[in-house]
Amino acid sequence: MQLTSLNLNYAAIAPESIVSVAAVVIMLVDAFSKKGARKINAGITLVSLVLALIAVFGLNSAGRGSYFSGMIVVDPIRVFFSVTILIVSIAVTLLASQFLRDEALPPGEFFALILFATAGMLLLAGAGDLVTVFLGLEIASITTYVMAGYRRYDTRASESSLKYFLLGSFATAFLLYGMSLVYGATATTNLTAINQAIAEGKVQFPALLMIGAALMLVGFGFKIASAPFHLWTPDVYEGAPTIVTGFMGTAPKVAVFAAFLHTFAEGFNAGGPLGSQLHHVWVTAVAIIAALTMTIGNIVALSQKNIKRMLAYSSIAHAGYALVGFVTSEAAPVGFYLLVYSLMSVGAFAVIQLLARAGDQKVEAADYAGIGFQTPALSFSLAIFLFSLAGIPPTAGFMSKFFIFKSAWDGAPTLRWLVVVAVINSIISVYYYLYPIVVMFFRPLAPGFVKPRVSTMTAVALALALIGTLYLGILPNRVMSSIGRSGTANTALVQPASK
Amino acid sequence: MVPLSWYLALSAVLFTIGVAGVLIQRNAIVLFMCIELMLNSVNLTLVAFSRFLGDVTGQLFVFIVMVVAAAEAAVGLAIIIALFRTRETLNVDEADLLKL
Repeated sequence: MQLTSLNLNYAAIAPESIVSVAAVVIMLVDAFSKKGARKINAGITLVSLVLALIAVFGLNSAGRGSYFSGMIVVDPIRVFFSVTILIVSIAVTLLASQFLRDEALPPGEFFALILFATAGMLLLAGAGDLVTVFLGLEIASITTYVMAGYRRYDTRASESSLKYFLLGSFATAFLLYGMSLVYGATATTNLTAINQAIAEGKVQFPALLMIGAALMLVGFGFKIASAPFHLWTPDVYEGAPTIVTGFMGTAPKVAVFAAFLHTFAEGFNAGGPLGSQLHHVWVTAVAIIAALTMTIGNIVALSQKNIKRMLAYSSIAHAGYALVGFVTSEAAPVGFYLLVYSLMSVGAFAVIQLLARAGDQKVEAADYAGIGFQTPALSFSLAIFLFSLAGIPPTAGFMSKFFIFKSAWDGAPTLRWLVVVAVINSIISVYYYLYPIVVMFFRPLAPGFVKPRVSTMTAVALALALIGTLYLGILPNRVMSSIGRSGTANTALVQPASK
Repeated sequence: MVPLSWYLALSAVLFTIGVAGVLIQRNAIVLFMCIELMLNSVNLTLVAFSRFLGDVTGQLFVFIVMVVAAAEAAVGLAIIIALFRTRETLNVDEADLLKL
C-alpha cells in the first residue's frame, strides 16, 4: 500500500495525541518531584483536557472524513461524544484533587490514569475500524480497572477492581471473537467497507456474520452494563472510590455507545437482503435488551438502601433508556441523552463523595437523614441531580428522555411497546430517586453530622454540572441541533465518508 | 492442506473451553488463564481467516491483540496481588464483601 493512500492527517488525532502526551508528562513530573506535585499535575491535566476540547471543536469545522486508511473517522457522532467525554474528564479532574488530598492517595498516577482513559475513550469514539474500536476500548478499560482499585489497601476496592477486571476481560474476549468472525465473513475490518460488503452481497459466510454480530452485541452489552450482562455493575460501582464510580459510570459508557453507534447503527445498517435481515435481527435484540435493562435496573434499585448501589442500578436503567434510541439508528437523541446523563450522574456522585467522607464511610440512606438544611448547597444540588435523573421537568433529564422516546415512537412504529415500557419505568424510578430527598429534608438529623469541606475546584465542578443540567433542560435546542448540524439524518450516516 | 473449517472448529472449541473455565473455576489466576485462552482462540481465528482470504489485516489485528493481552496481564496480575495482600486468598467466591 502506498503511503499517500493511507491518508495520514495528524489533525484528526490531535485530541488523543494531546491527552496521551500530557499523561506521559504527568508521569515524568510525578517521578521527578519529591512530594507528589498534586496541584501541578491537576493543572497539566486540566490544561490538556481543555486543549483537547478545542481540538475536537477544530475537527467539527473541518467536516467529515476518514483518515489513516479508514482507521479514524471524523463525523458528528465522534465530535459530540468526544465533547461529552472531555466534559466528564474535566469535571472528574476537578473533583479528584480534593479526593486525593482528603484520602492521602498518591496523586500523580491518578491524573495520568484519567488522561490515558480519556485518550482511549476518545479513540473509541473516533474509531472507524474494528481494530481501533478494540484498541480504544482496551486502553479505556485497562486504565479504569486500575482506577477502580486505586484505594488498594481497602478490601472493597480491590475486590471491585478484580471483579471489574475479570468480567471486563471476559466481555472483551466475546467482542473480539465477534470481530474476528465479522472479519472472516466480510474480508475487511473497516466499518464502511463492512457496510458496503453487506449491501453488495459480497459476504462469503452470512452465518458467521450473524454470529459475529451477536457476539459483538454481547461484548458491547457487557461494557455498557445492559441486562442480562449487568451483574458486575453494582458490586464494582459500590466498591470503587465514589469519584471513580462517577467517572466509570459515565465516560466509558459514552465512548462505548459511540462505538456501538458506529458499528451497529452504521456498519450493520446496510441495504440488500442480508443487510435488512441483520438489521431486523439486531434492532429486535437491542429492543429486548433495552426493555430488560431498564426494568431490572429500576425494580432492583427500589430496594437499595446504599446510595451508591442505588445509583449503580439507576445507571443500568439509564443505559436501557439510551438503548431505546438505537431502534431508529438516530445518533442525535442518544448523544444528547448521554451528555445529560453524564452531567447529572457526575454531579450526583460528586455530592455523594463529599458526604461519604474519606474511605466512603457514609453511603447508606440513613446517613443522609436530616442533613438537608445543615448543608443546603450540597443537599439542594443533590436534589436537582436526582430530580433530573428521575426525568422531572424543567431539568435536562426530562428533555433528554422526551427526545429519545419521541424519536423511537416516530421512527419505529413496530417497536412502540418499547416506549411504553420506558415511560412506565420512568414513573417507577421516581420513587427511589425521591427517597433520598425525603430522607434529607424530612427526617431528624443523624447524630454526629459534620459539614463536609468543599474545595474551590470541587465547587467549580459541581457548578458546571448544575448549570449544564438546568441549561440543557430549559434550552436544549441549541445543543440538540449542533449534533444534527453536520447532517445526522439517518441516511447521511451510512454514506461512505468522503476522502 | 488443512481446510479453514478445521481451524474455525478448533478455535471455537478453545473459546468454549475458556468460557467454561471462567464459569466453573474459582481461582483468580486460573480464571485469568481461561480468559487468555479465549483471546488466543480469537487469534487463531484471525490468522486462519487472514490466510484463507489472502488479506494481511487479520495478522496485524493479532499483533494488536497480543500487545493488549500483555498489558492486560500486567494490570491483571497486579490487581490479583493487591487482592491477595488484603485477603490472603485467591478464591473469587471468598471475595464477597459486596453482595447483590
